[in-house]
Amino acid sequence: MAVNRRQFLTAAGGLAAVAGSGGLAACGGSGSGGGGGNADGSAELAFAWWGNEVRNANTTAAIDAYTAANPNVTISPQPGEWASYWDKLATQTAGNTAPDIIQMDMAYISEYGTRGALLDLEEYGVDVSKFAEGTVDSGRIEGKLYGVNAGINTPTILANPELYEEAGVDMPDDTTWTWEEYGAIAEELSAKLGSGSFGSDSIFNDVLLSAYLRQQGKELFTPEGLGFAVEDVIPWFELMKSFVDSGALPDAARISEGATKPLDQGDFVVGNSAMAQYWSNQVEAVNKSSGKTMAILRYPSTTGQATDRQAWYKASMLWSASARTRHPEAAVALISWWVNSPESADANLAERGIPANLEIRERITPELSEDQQAVATFIADIEPELGTTPIAPPPGGGELGDIMQRYQLDMLFGRTAPADAANGFYTEATSNLKV
Amino acid sequence: MSALFELTSLKGSRARTPEEKAARRKEAGRDNLAGYLFLLPWLVGLVVITIGPLIASLYLSFTDYSLIQAPEWTGLENYVRMLEDPRLHNALRVTFIYVVVGTPLQLVVALGIALLLNEGMKGLAFYRSIFYLPSLLGGSVAIALLWRQLFGTDGLVNQLLRLLGVDATIGWVSDPSYALWTIILLHVWTFGSPMVIFLAGLRQIPAMYYEAAAVDGATRWSRFIRITLPLLSPIIFFNLVLQVIGAFQSFTQAFVVSNGTGGPSDSTMFYTLYLYDRGFGNFEMGYAAAMAWLLVVIVGALTAVNFLLSRFWVFYDD
Repeated sequence: MAVNRRQFLTAAGGLAAVAGSGGLAACGGSGSGGGGGNADGSAELAFAWWGNEVRNANTTAAIDAYTAANPNVTISPQPGEWASYWDKLATQTAGNTAPDIIQMDMAYISEYGTRGALLDLEEYGVDVSKFAEGTVDSGRIEGKLYGVNAGINTPTILANPELYEEAGVDMPDDTTWTWEEYGAIAEELSAKLGSGSFGSDSIFNDVLLSAYLRQQGKELFTPEGLGFAVEDVIPWFELMKSFVDSGALPDAARISEGATKPLDQGDFVVGNSAMAQYWSNQVEAVNKSSGKTMAILRYPSTTGQATDRQAWYKASMLWSASARTRHPEAAVALISWWVNSPESADANLAERGIPANLEIRERITPELSEDQQAVATFIADIEPELGTTPIAPPPGGGELGDIMQRYQLDMLFGRTAPADAANGFYTEATSNLKV
Repeated sequence: MSALFELTSLKGSRARTPEEKAARRKEAGRDNLAGYLFLLPWLVGLVVITIGPLIASLYLSFTDYSLIQAPEWTGLENYVRMLEDPRLHNALRVTFIYVVVGTPLQLVVALGIALLLNEGMKGLAFYRSIFYLPSLLGGSVAIALLWRQLFGTDGLVNQLLRLLGVDATIGWVSDPSYALWTIILLHVWTFGSPMVIFLAGLRQIPAMYYEAAAVDGATRWSRFIRITLPLLSPIIFFNLVLQVIGAFQSFTQAFVVSNGTGGPSDSTMFYTLYLYDRGFGNFEMGYAAAMAWLLVVIVGALTAVNFLLSRFWVFYDD
């Protein structure tokens, strides 16, 4: 035999050693913490965002416009993809090379903000004076403005008019419908559409849980932790179970599968279901992928009155600056320009969501696509229905939706009763928070 | 060539005078220096990429480290927490099932195919490549995505079953009772690298043993049991150790098939996936580091057990 014992032992031992060390691979960040602080006001800023091709082109155009007008500022762009963006940002922050300007998300802002990684933008005079009511507070944590709204988002129910017609069901009145009525309509649609199609995707996500709780005077999060008790979510789990049992929602396997599908393969987009929950800034993508014009509806309320439904504007994303930037003034000046200047508006339009600055919104509306105009109209229409602005999820709160989904699936696959699932969810969500 | 010859002859000769000794030491030093220079790239890699992070990770495992803030010493807290973390216990359970079921299955398939290919068929190189292909593809994102499609509720597998008259509505990757098994299947399918190693091992078994056995009238089965398996046992052992270690570290397949969630209901939450989720998803890098060290201990212990047990079944023909 070619392999003798000693050679073999050496080789295998070496492999075992290598294997052991493979647990964590640190990835190096390439960000610059900014150049030297210069007396003449010149600055080098690293600018990071995640996005898509359209956004990359828009953002590059806007950066060019800014550097043309401010020749003493140089900007090094760091475009990225959502999935790797957060790994990279975390390692960059750990390595003290975080980009100066950071495109931020509500799910992460308090992770970074409360740990001192972000700049208080108000301290350096960021201009949000023309922002619509309720749009600034999204980025405020413990009194400090860590992020500026980069575009307004609001939860919607999208409905497929073609499937409604096929089923012979009238479009619901979204200003009066309750959660139970939503279930009844979805059940009717499922029955009339026949096998393989159903009335609605699961709407029992963290977004609408927040809405549901707000309608009972609770909140998903308070600065101290969860803003609700376990008794408040047991009916939510029971409601979901009843929707699945009645056929309003698809079965457990289908719901489980739907959760992992990309937008363009979702049951609603491909025409298998008549209703689903989406954010307003996804409307254009849904319409494009499906080739249809979906109806934008309000989510239901407990009382049957839309003005009680406690709607809110969420920042689709935010602009933040690194607390360690060497040019805080220059970074904040760029953010102010980004959200307030006509030049930036013309380059970016509503790609990051409908602008929070009302003057800017008015300026770009005629240039928007039909889909985005419909969204702008919807956002303006629901203003009387707005409740308070929910706070950003505290550290560890960003996973609440995933945790809830796990317990929901346990329930739907018949492994636990609704009350036990709600209890498990509540316990784990509580212990996951770091407040 | 001649310089090398002089060098070796100098080293070989006995140095007697102090001058000669000094000259020899100098030569030896220069000799070593060249050696270290050649080693340098590897040494730098070892220190910077392996040992450095290893020590840092050990330190971090005793801290509360969010990546964003400086680490804070917490002693054994992370390790104590592991004792009472139900999701961690679930991740261990899932990973053990995956390793204990998936690895032997994969080795059996690999050995079976290797035996077939060893029959001296035409176009061996071609078939070998074809059978090796899944190993190259299997770890890739594309195949994991394909897997999700194949085993979806309306995927190819269910459609085939329906053609056969079975009313198949099972979501193979979306039902927690089946999801792990589809990933184990994907793992078994990537049998290429153990197969190639088996094939090399089979080639080295001297043909005379088989000839002698054939003369004595041994059946194919007893030739396999009494000649092939014992002589192949070091290779089987090698593959076993290698694949067990590899299986403990699988990440990509579960990550992609479950969209990074380890779902449905944590049924495909592998250890490494949970580690990644804690570290990068939940900013608990200290806890993740402690988990990594537990993995080192587990893999090390299992490898040690493997080596101990090997005394009873591995036969070295040397």
